[in-house]
Order: sequence, then structure tokens, then C-alpha cells
Amino acid sequence: MEVAFYLSGLVAVLATLGVITNTNPVHALLYLVVSLIAVALVFFSLGAPFAAALEVIVYAGAIMVLFVFVVMMLNLGEAVVAQERAWLKPRTWLGPAVLAAVLLLTLIAALWRGDIGLVISGETLTAKAVGTTLFGPWLLIVELAAMLLLAALVTASHVGRLAAPDKPPMHQETGARKEVR
Amino acid sequence: MTLTTTHLVALLPLILVCATAIAVMLGIAWRRHHAATVLVTAIGLNLALLSLLVVWQVTPIETPLLVVDGLTIFATALILVSALACTTLGHAYLEHYTGPAEEFYLLLLCSAAGGMVLAASQHLATLFFGLELLSMPLYGMLAYAFHERRSLEAGIKYLILSAAATAFLLFGMALLYSQTGRLDLAGLASGFAEDNAWALAGAGMMLVALGFKLSIVPFHLWAPDVYEGGPGPAATFLASVSKIAAFIILLRLVVVSPAFQGEWLQETLVVLALATMLVGNLLALTQSNLKRLLAYSSIAHFGYLMVALVVSDGLAKETAGVYLITYVVTVLAAFGVITVLSSPYGGADAAALHHYRGLFWRRPYLTAVLTITMLSLAGIPFTAGFIGKFYIVALGVEAERWWLVGGIIVGSAIGLYYYLRVMVTLFLVEAGMRRRDAPHDWGVRAGGVVVMGLALLVLLLGVYPAPMIEWVRVLAATSIG
Repeated sequence: MEVAFYLSGLVAVLATLGVITNTNPVHALLYLVVSLIAVALVFFSLGAPFAAALEVIVYAGAIMVLFVFVVMMLNLGEAVVAQERAWLKPRTWLGPAVLAAVLLLTLIAALWRGDIGLVISGETLTAKAVGTTLFGPWLLIVELAAMLLLAALVTASHVGRLAAPDKPPMHQETGARKEVR
Repeated sequence: MTLTTTHLVALLPLILVCATAIAVMLGIAWRRHHAATVLVTAIGLNLALLSLLVVWQVTPIETPLLVVDGLTIFATALILVSALACTTLGHAYLEHYTGPAEEFYLLLLCSAAGGMVLAASQHLATLFFGLELLSMPLYGMLAYAFHERRSLEAGIKYLILSAAATAFLLFGMALLYSQTGRLDLAGLASGFAEDNAWALAGAGMMLVALGFKLSIVPFHLWAPDVYEGGPGPAATFLASVSKIAAFIILLRLVVVSPAFQGEWLQETLVVLALATMLVGNLLALTQSNLKRLLAYSSIAHFGYLMVALVVSDGLAKETAGVYLITYVVTVLAAFGVITVLSSPYGGADAAALHHYRGLFWRRPYLTAVLTITMLSLAGIPFTAGFIGKFYIVALGVEAERWWLVGGIIVGSAIGLYYYLRVMVTLFLVEAGMRRRDAPHDWGVRAGGVVVMGLALLVLLLGVYPAPMIEWVRVLAATSIG
């Protein structure tokens, strides 16, 4: 398992380097997917399968797919087809693919040896343990995370909205009142 | 350990502020009404402030993740008062805002709750969540007038740099955790071996993140731009609540955790404090924008405050408390004047110094307020600022930190020049240009009343500081660690 830990850690670092050095957003996102999966494998090898599963489902799954979709939708235009073709060059996908292959090999090797419960040290953290912590002593953190998400949502919805076109800007010199909203 | 009723009582202010935020949100969803939103926000904050009297009965008490002691109550009271002032200023400022204005108070409440969590945290998880809950709504508040280029720039600048600081914080926490296997501050304190390089690196990284929030010198570059661009009430909030909360948690870390008491970090803190005092004051010299000037001045003031972190025993807590009170009251009044002058909202704030030329001949009382705050920031006797500075110098002298005392004296001397420059501008003959002005009845509006009250408080604390000192002393005595 230690080999798995270090190998996936290395993959995570390399993939993250790929994220920040890439100029093309879609390529960067592909590397980010690999990086997140590698981190999930790190969690797994440390004996936290629940966190690993969440990492794959939430980050590498939902959020990243959303990212990729949005970026691709923003790119709509004349050059899309040419762009798509350009993206299919091996130079583009070879890096993420090799890193992903390393991860896959690590995973297969770990499964081959059969002992899934084998972790680096300490006991395995199950979903139940995470749940009892979150809704026991860490209840406050859950509530705070809810407030944090609320604030982020309100910020995004406010900044993302178009300026209301029906309300004329206030007259600068007189500060003329508008009707009460 | 789960939560008991006593714990809930101790968390009452936090619960009240969060409940008010929810109430405001539901109110917005039902029907938008600016004045009613402000009223609900103000009532919620006042209730939270009153509930501190109840909390005082059960202090000191430790809940699983938060500690409610004298220091917490002190910080919570300051945060709530600052939030109230920002709410009132926001009412005048956003009255004629062309877009929806109600979300501002929702964000303000969330951010205040984050500040309260941060000031009370004794666990790295609450530290992180408190800091994020403090900063996340601030992005929205700073970029609130987002069709204004400067405001949007301020929001994005703060967002990106803040995210980088958060990365440092998390890395630092991970290093500390890898050395001790604990996340609570007490566990961190007990789990350390002497001279652990990894722990030192972790503590240093956390110092970087908190130093960013306090705009301590190598991490200060964002401050002037963000203060200048953000809308008046948001800048006020950033200069008061955000700094109080970050300073209190830094004080807690330094006092409690041995990782922060090593010789290396002490020396680093000394160097940072000296650099902060000098660079902040020197850069303020050439500013022609009052908000930028106040940003640099606030950088310099936190340089002075860091003396309390360096000494961190004896009178340090009391000094930090007294200095924070005087700083917050003064800075609220100073930003309040800018906000009142820029109210109601109509484009970028009136912050350039030439806007203030000849203000005395138009708005004598407002000029008096600004003059008092400038005198207080400079630390002239009979204002609150003098009491704070006196405490800091006394602390430095007692601990025989001569370099720091010298830095304070040189910094104050430089500071006097630019504070006086602002005051001279106020009394110059009125210029022909007259773009922005306060509404004619500013003095009887809520924002004006708050500004006048704060100015009177600055004078009162300067002349008769005994009750404030006594209060801080009692609170410092009941703090844990």
C-alpha cells in the first residue's frame, strides 16, 4: 500500500503541475480530473475509503464534468470543429492518459494482492465513523458549512445578475429620490 | 462530547446572528424592502449584543470546537458593534442604489458570524471555517457595485489573493497535523517536541495566511486597492471586523501554541512588525486618496499591535484589547465620514483628497468628526488613539524591546505628517469643484448619528479611559490560556 500511496501522490503532483502550466483550459481540466482521482487514491490508501469515494463522486464526477461542460459551452463558435480536431492530437491527451494509466495500474495491483483492508497505518475510516463525527461533535461545522454555501450562493447570484435595466441611475447633483421599492 | 444546553447558551450570539441571516434571506425571497431589511438586521445584531450578558454568566466554557472566554466575548462585542455601524452606514449608502440592495445585509450577517466563529475557535477546523465564512461574503460585499469597474476589481483581487492565503493556511494546518495528529489547539500544544522543523514550517505558513488577512507588510499589497475600490460600508467592514477576528485568533495561537513561541517565529514577528510599521507609514505619505491613505494607516496600526504578539505575556492581552477598541472606534468613524459623504450611492466613492478640500466651510460638524479621527489615528492626547499608543509603548518598554519602541516612535512621527496633511486640506479655502456632498440632513439620519456618536466616543475614551481599561482587564482575566 505504501507504493500505492507514494505513486498516486506523485501522480497528483505531476497532474497538478499539468493543470497550472497548461494554457488551454480544457487540457488543464483533464489534468485536474486526473489529479483529483489521484488524491482519491491517496485517501483510499490511507484507509479512508469513504472520503475517497466522495472525492471521486463529487469532485472528479459532478464538479469536474460541470467545469468541462461550461468551458466547452463557452467555446462555441466558428472554430469549434477545428478546435475539437486540434484537441484530439496525441500530444494533448497523452499526458493525462499516461498518468491515469499509472493510477489504474496501481489500483489493479492493489486489488490483485487481494487485501483491500490493508492500509498504511491506523484503522479504516468508515462512512459510519464520518457520520457520527459530523453529526456529533462536529455539528457546528456542518452548520457553518451551510452558512458558507449560502453566502457563496448569494454572492454568485448577486454578481452574476445583469444590472437592472428598468431603474434609471440616480441624478448625481440633486440626488433625486426614486419611488420606494 | 455532544452539545448541551449550556453550550447552546454560550453559542447564543452566533445562533442569533445566523438566524437573523436566515430571516433576512427569507424576507428577500418574500418581498424586497430595504428599510425593513435594515431593521431586521439591526434588531438581530442588537439581540446578539444583549445576549452577551447572558453568555457572560456561563464563561469561561469550552464547547467541542469553540471556546467562550473573556477574549471571545470581547471580540464578539467589537465585531457586533462594528457590524451594526456598517449596517447603519449601509442604509444611508445603498438607499438609492439602482440594483437590489438587500443582499448586502445578508452577506454582512454571514461575514459577522464567520468573524465570531474565528475569534472563538480553539480547533483548526473552526479556524478554517470561520476564516472562510468571514472572507467569502466579503468578496460579494466588495464587488457589490459590480458594474463599477473598481468595485469589481476589488472583489476579484481579494478573492484570488485570499484563496492563495487559504492554500497556505491549509498547508500549514496539514503540516501541524502530520506532526501531532491533533487538530485542537490544546492537543497541538501538548503534542510538540522541541525544535520541530515541520511544525515550525506549518506555523509559519499559518502566519502567512493570517498575516494576509491583517495586511502585515510582505502580504499587504492588496489592501490599498481593495479599500479604494470596495463600496464604503464594505471597506469599513473589512477594516474593522475582518481585522479584529484575524488578530484575536493570531493572539490565541501565539499565546496557546508552543509552535508559535519558538525563537525563530518570535524574531520573524519582530521583523514583520518593524517592517509593517515603517512601510505602512512611508507608503501613506504620498497618497492622494483618503481610502488608500487609511488602508496604509491601518497597515501601520497593525504593525504597532504586533508588539503585543511579540511580547505575548504580562500586559499583552490587556494592551491588545485596549488598542483594538481605540483602533476600531476611530477607524469606524473615519470610514463612516467617507461613507456619509459618498451617500447615497452614485458611482465611485468620494475618496480623493480634493473632494475634501474646504469641507469645513460646508459641513463643519462632519469636518470635526474627521479631524478628531485623524488626531486619534495620529495618537494625540485627549483622543482614544493616545491611550492605545501609550499602552503599546509601555508594553514595549517593559519588555525591553527597544527596536520595536523605536519603530513605533519613528512610525508615529511619519504618521503625523500625513494625518496633518488631511486635516489641512479640510480647512483650506473651498475649491470651485464640488462633485459629491453629503445629503443636507445627514446629521439627523442614522448614518450621521452613528458617525457623530463614534467621534464623541473617541473623545470620551481619550479623556476618561478608566471604564474601558477596567472592562478589558476583567475580560482578559477570564480568558483561557
